[in-house]
Amino acid sequence: MADEKIAVYFCDCGTNIAGKVDVDEVVKWAAEQPNVTVAREYKYMCSDPGQDLIKTDIKELGVTRVVVAACSPTMHEPTFRKAAADGGLNPFLLQMANVREHCSWVTEDPVEATEKAKRILSAQIHRLPFNEALQPIEVPVNPDVMVVGAGIAGIEAALKLADAGKKVFVVERDPSIGGHMAMFDKTFPTLDCSACILTPKMSALGKHPNITLMAYSEVTEVSGYVGNFKVKVRKKARYVDTDKCTGCAACTEACVVQKVKSEFDVGLGYRPAIYIPFPQAVPLKATIDPAKCLTLSKGKCAKQSCVSACGPGAIDFGQQDEQVELDVGAIIMATGFELFDCEREARYGYGRLANVITSLEFERLSNASGPTGGHIVMKNGEAPKSVAILHCVGSRDENYQEFCSRVCCMYSLKFAHLIKEHLPETEVYELYIDMRAYGKGYEEFYKRLMDEGVHFIRGRAAEVSDVALAPEEEGRLVVKAEDTLLGIMRRLPVDMVILSAGLSPRRDAKEVAQTFGFGCSANGFYLERHPKLEPASTMTDGVFLAGACQYPKDIPDAVAQAGAAAAGALTFVNNPTVKVEPTISYIDPEKCSGCHICVGLCPHAAIQFNAEKEVAEVIEAACKGCGVCVAACGSNVPQQRGYLDKQIFAEIEGALAL
Amino acid sequence: MVELETTQGVKTLHKIFLEDVYSIPGGEKIRLCQQCGTCSGSCPTAYLMDYSPREVIAAFRAGMLDRVLKSNTIWLCTSCYSCTVRCPAGIKVTDIMYELKRLAIKYKSWPSSSKNPAMSKIFIDHVHRFGRSYEAGVIGQFVLTQKPSLAWKFKGLGTKLFLSGRMPLLPKSIKGKDEFHKIIDLLATKEVSQ
Repeated sequence: MADEKIAVYFCDCGTNIAGKVDVDEVVKWAAEQPNVTVAREYKYMCSDPGQDLIKTDIKELGVTRVVVAACSPTMHEPTFRKAAADGGLNPFLLQMANVREHCSWVTEDPVEATEKAKRILSAQIHRLPFNEALQPIEVPVNPDVMVVGAGIAGIEAALKLADAGKKVFVVERDPSIGGHMAMFDKTFPTLDCSACILTPKMSALGKHPNITLMAYSEVTEVSGYVGNFKVKVRKKARYVDTDKCTGCAACTEACVVQKVKSEFDVGLGYRPAIYIPFPQAVPLKATIDPAKCLTLSKGKCAKQSCVSACGPGAIDFGQQDEQVELDVGAIIMATGFELFDCEREARYGYGRLANVITSLEFERLSNASGPTGGHIVMKNGEAPKSVAILHCVGSRDENYQEFCSRVCCMYSLKFAHLIKEHLPETEVYELYIDMRAYGKGYEEFYKRLMDEGVHFIRGRAAEVSDVALAPEEEGRLVVKAEDTLLGIMRRLPVDMVILSAGLSPRRDAKEVAQTFGFGCSANGFYLERHPKLEPASTMTDGVFLAGACQYPKDIPDAVAQAGAAAAGALTFVNNPTVKVEPTISYIDPEKCSGCHICVGLCPHAAIQFNAEKEVAEVIEAACKGCGVCVAACGSNVPQQRGYLDKQIFAEIEGALAL
Repeated sequence: MVELETTQGVKTLHKIFLEDVYSIPGGEKIRLCQQCGTCSGSCPTAYLMDYSPREVIAAFRAGMLDRVLKSNTIWLCTSCYSCTVRCPAGIKVTDIMYELKRLAIKYKSWPSSSKNPAMSKIFIDHVHRFGRSYEAGVIGQFVLTQKPSLAWKFKGLGTKLFLSGRMPLLPKSIKGKDEFHKIIDLLATKEVSQ
């Protein structure tokens, strides 16, 4: 050990480090430390000439250990490890000393910074003689991919992967795929029909030979490890044999329970207890709502008319939920969003005042396949003579959601256009704080709406009331707001109020993220690996994100991210193997007493108990190197490679040696 | 801009006012105002104001203190707190109105037509003297010093309140007035040291 030849490289990082730390002094000091053969300073170690220094010294000076004092190892450790390997040294014989994030960036006094840099460096110089050469572990990658959620983002990602020749499992919670986009009437700013552009993709997904669609199903458990996930999926009972069901809908007409509020029409319309959510549903199969079906909920239905109506005899009241296990190499999360709960903003009267509706309700109201056949009407069936559209409901508000939901300005403009198109005489008021028309063709769309005669009032609505103070307000809704451009208070008597509600994370987003082993941002949406450079990846290798589950997005952005997620998953599963960091735990069978403590504590189920030898054993591919077993063992038996006790203690001694 | 000698040196009045408002809990949040107008739209007396609460915040941030102090806005605030409850930026608008009232009195700057500062002052004097409000005294002093014609206007209401025992003629003091004064005096010195 005493014969180790350590090379020290100190990076200036321009002025990031050298601007605070006296590099000359530290390098001079380092050259005199035990085992140090050479100590050098360089302006940018990560540059090619900087990396070449390491390679040359390994070859010419016979360096056996390397420490690079530079930035955080999360930035450039892979770069320098590769340089060491290229020079012929095992990459695990190189250590980084973080003198930027841990020192120069966070220390004000240059003298203190210089002292701290020495200590950080000293820790690594002391540690290095105990480092061992480690070999990366390679595990095979399962080439199949699972997509969770089949709105537009999930559909797009699944189709891309399937077209690339990958086997894809699509798991969707609802009876049909399509998500929110299937509920919309038109899409901004081009005003093409939402269903017309979505349904061909839905149909392609349903028929694709490489795709296994599991609708009306939920993921209950994810285990396994990188490239080899084991997923448990619960296929909820439809009480209909999907092999026999032809989707003819005869049962839905025959059902005696016709007045169940339709989820697809957000409660504005009705469906029977046995139903197909909408005519273009994929898969086009009937589903029985067990809470509303008389046979399933009360035990008796006098007629059982669905059974007699069904030609192929597909109704099966005895059907049970089914557990399916899938093996996949990568997962794409595309679980979407939920609309902000407008009842929380009580001052707008949603749920109390009949003609205050949410944006999603308006989508169904204006949709030709919706409950009114596309007629924009009030609860009494009459067309409104004036409509107010209130922006930022639940968004940009620290009482609810601080973020901007990004899509509401534009869909509000689309609503104004649809109202003007259906009812040219109707006055439309848009009450906004800032008009965010940032996308391609969006500003032009805003201008078009100004031209169409929509009244834009810059001011957030304060409240909606049904108390009339003037004859023209009798029997109508009154929106109170300040017109901030005029500096006057306004009372707008209108017949209908549309709340442009923000997009919220799914209410079970946290639990779902936990199931898959990644986290959520402070705002509740899934946390991406890097907000700019890896917006479609998660912290879990092999798990990717697409669509509004990461952050509110419009359709073009969701589709673009779905493409990125598909490309990420494809890159990942296209490699036959994946290298796993060898810094994992091992258990010496001679020393293990077989007490089981580590077995139960391992969060990755990577320790199994060998009953024959009565010792715990680490499953190398499953171990993630978290160190829980190392800390938990009463006899110090599990050790983590690369983080051995002697290495850690040497590091501490080094830091305290000055 | 008016410049003043303070313990920390010469500062503009605007800077002093800003620091003062930032020093109240949550006061620094006026930096986050997005001028949405929720406060004004929610205000029951906004229709009487020459500048809306939103405009007062905008003028104050822009350093237009004359607009703020000469407007009737801060004196018409009824402390209903609707604006504070609804503000999406979490600005405590009502508290800021109070702070502006205090500053206006301190620098003796208010709309010449407004009697509200005088009313506030008389009310506080009475509370200080008796430890509680003394309605007959407050209204008596206000009417006599500010606008004697009001006595005629409100005689009917005054008689009714008196007869129903709502407005006794003689003041009542609280128990432990000395301790109350100690608290007030301590607060006053705190304010000065600030």
